[in-house]
Amino acid sequence: MIWVIHTLNGISFGMLLFLMAAGLSLIYGLMKILNLTHGSYYLVGGYIGLTVMRLTGSFLLAIVAAIFVVALIGAAMERFFLRRFHLDELPQTLLTFGFLLIFGDLCLWIWGGDPIMIPKPSILAQSVPLGDYVFPLYRLFLIAVGLVVAAGLWWFQQRTRFGTMLRAGVDDVEIARALGINVSLLFTLIFALGATLAALGGVLAAPILSLYPGADFEVLILAFVVVIVGGLGSLRGALVGGLLIGLLDNFGKAFFPQFALFTVFVPMAFILSIRPTGLFGSR
Amino acid sequence: MTKSGKRKFDGAAARNTKRRPSFRTILPALAAAALALGSPASVQAADPIKIGILLPLSGVFAANGQEALVGMKMYFDEIGNEAAGHKLELIIEDEQGKPDVAVTKARKLVERDGAQMLTGIVSSGVALAVSAFSKESKVPMIIAADGGVTELTVPGPLTNPYLVRTSQNGRTPSAVGADWAYKKQGWRKVSVIASDYAGGVDTIAEFVRNFCTLGGKAVQEQFPPLGTSDFGPFLTNVDRSVDAVVIFEPGADGLRFGQQYSELGLKAKLPLLDVYGQTVYEPNLPQLGDAALGVFSSLHYAAMIKTPENERFVAAFRKLTGKMPSDNGPDGYVGAHAIADAIKAVDGHLDDTMKFMAALKAVKFPSPKGDIALDSYGQVIQSIYIRKVEKVGGENANVPVADYHNIDQFWPGTVADYQSYEYKTTALKGSMTDCAKMTARN
Repeated sequence: MIWVIHTLNGISFGMLLFLMAAGLSLIYGLMKILNLTHGSYYLVGGYIGLTVMRLTGSFLLAIVAAIFVVALIGAAMERFFLRRFHLDELPQTLLTFGFLLIFGDLCLWIWGGDPIMIPKPSILAQSVPLGDYVFPLYRLFLIAVGLVVAAGLWWFQQRTRFGTMLRAGVDDVEIARALGINVSLLFTLIFALGATLAALGGVLAAPILSLYPGADFEVLILAFVVVIVGGLGSLRGALVGGLLIGLLDNFGKAFFPQFALFTVFVPMAFILSIRPTGLFGSR
Repeated sequence: MTKSGKRKFDGAAARNTKRRPSFRTILPALAAAALALGSPASVQAADPIKIGILLPLSGVFAANGQEALVGMKMYFDEIGNEAAGHKLELIIEDEQGKPDVAVTKARKLVERDGAQMLTGIVSSGVALAVSAFSKESKVPMIIAADGGVTELTVPGPLTNPYLVRTSQNGRTPSAVGADWAYKKQGWRKVSVIASDYAGGVDTIAEFVRNFCTLGGKAVQEQFPPLGTSDFGPFLTNVDRSVDAVVIFEPGADGLRFGQQYSELGLKAKLPLLDVYGQTVYEPNLPQLGDAALGVFSSLHYAAMIKTPENERFVAAFRKLTGKMPSDNGPDGYVGAHAIADAIKAVDGHLDDTMKFMAALKAVKFPSPKGDIALDSYGQVIQSIYIRKVEKVGGENANVPVADYHNIDQFWPGTVADYQSYEYKTTALKGSMTDCAKMTARN
């Protein structure tokens, strides 16, 4: 039974990692922008969710509010700042890093330095018995949400017209424009979508990981590890990468605790050495 | 000014000023008279004493720093910001919890602002850096807020004759925790979990060493990295046959650990002792809710201490901030009290620094955290409390269930005992399940 617990734990953490990484991967894959502000979207989303949760007590409302606000921030960032440096990677990266620092400080100013947890919604706040052990229901919920989001994103990319336009816009901007696709609007929407995923991750993770200054950097690093392993730009990569890292991290810590510091980074180093573009990368 | 913008030359006024004795001639005469008539004390009475306060008001330790500042100001305000006839001027600088910034600000306080002493200090890294500065510049340093790195006040390379510490140190909550665990709770086998860095390993090692000396044993040790978000694997691994789990997990890790300990069903099965009280740190309690109930911790303070001093302090603190104090507020308060008492003892003459240091080491007074005195190395002798989280008036609070008084920095042994043990973190990690190694003396 202990194996089951470790596996479930690993998968639930992996789903969190997927949510954190999906937005980063999406934005890079489709727009070739390395969005370092991704960590801030996670944190700001989390904090907004926290405030809404405190005011209304509704977890659902918290998620909706967080997504909405961060999507707006993401869209505004793309439209007014990043667009000016289209395809110019260094200024873009520096810009997003600058925003990362600014948002981090703003969050510290508004919400303070103590770590805060979003309270779990009461229906999810219990633990299910599994043999000799108990497992939190919330983590099972995370696994479910991760699967739903993954399925939704896949369907969106492969089966909708919007998704097709997106892929066209990425493959060849000129032809897409010639075909009448409003690529600029598309890019803004994609950026907003990536930000949304990060914010969703923030609100969903906060009841487990808590929100505090520095969480933005930590999430960014984790997201990078997943994206490197799974491959930049691949949603499938983000999912597989997330699950892989989640499981390896969990089992690594359980059975090789003296290497606990490395369990997240060793897979990354390994993948980088044998397959630099990641498992499903396509650069 | 006239319409053309030029200043009008008023001849009459100019002539008038030539007749009256000008201020320039009067001033030296006045000064001479003052010096002749006045005793040195009354001239100095005008001089404020400048106290440089270095605290992290932003950054990771912002909450600790701000609470300590509230505590310090509370005391100084109570005495009217005045001691031995001198006004006390507080110059506050934010060192952001960073040693390099702290030294820069310390230098600014002393060299530019004329601070005659430095106080505050939360992070141990900052404590070490500023202590080096204090030693080199011969400026008194009173660690008030935390800065509990043990080595600063024990005989050794880091000793600083210009330093005293009224806050705490790393080993006493561990030593007392071990004594209580063995003697009062009857625990014999424990599983230990501590954050994988020097502070974490050393704190838990001190617990294990004392526990072993008494006859107990740690059967399992785990060191999750700093910043671990998922304690699942560590908690699932805990040996369920032990009497209790003993931990040290600071900051956000502590909050997460507390929640996951309950979520993964361990709280229902095994008692938890949180050495240093980081998981049950006051800001965490409302968030942990029922997950925190029943958790034990060892620390040099508890908001629920039932003495007149503490009840008065907590009421005033709550009125000011709307929150319950953790240990930083009372530490700040006590630090300010020690400074004020020492200033009074030397009658405001701070030029003889060593005399001021002696006065600091001689302070003795009751306080919200209990009776305070200092040992000859400048480290505080105070009480350590074992607390349990219970519901008080509908809210979670750390309630003292055991008090240990007159605990000096080497308790339960002497400085010789302290010096005979191994303290290298790399040697301790991995050896905690071996009592012979833990209690071996050099």
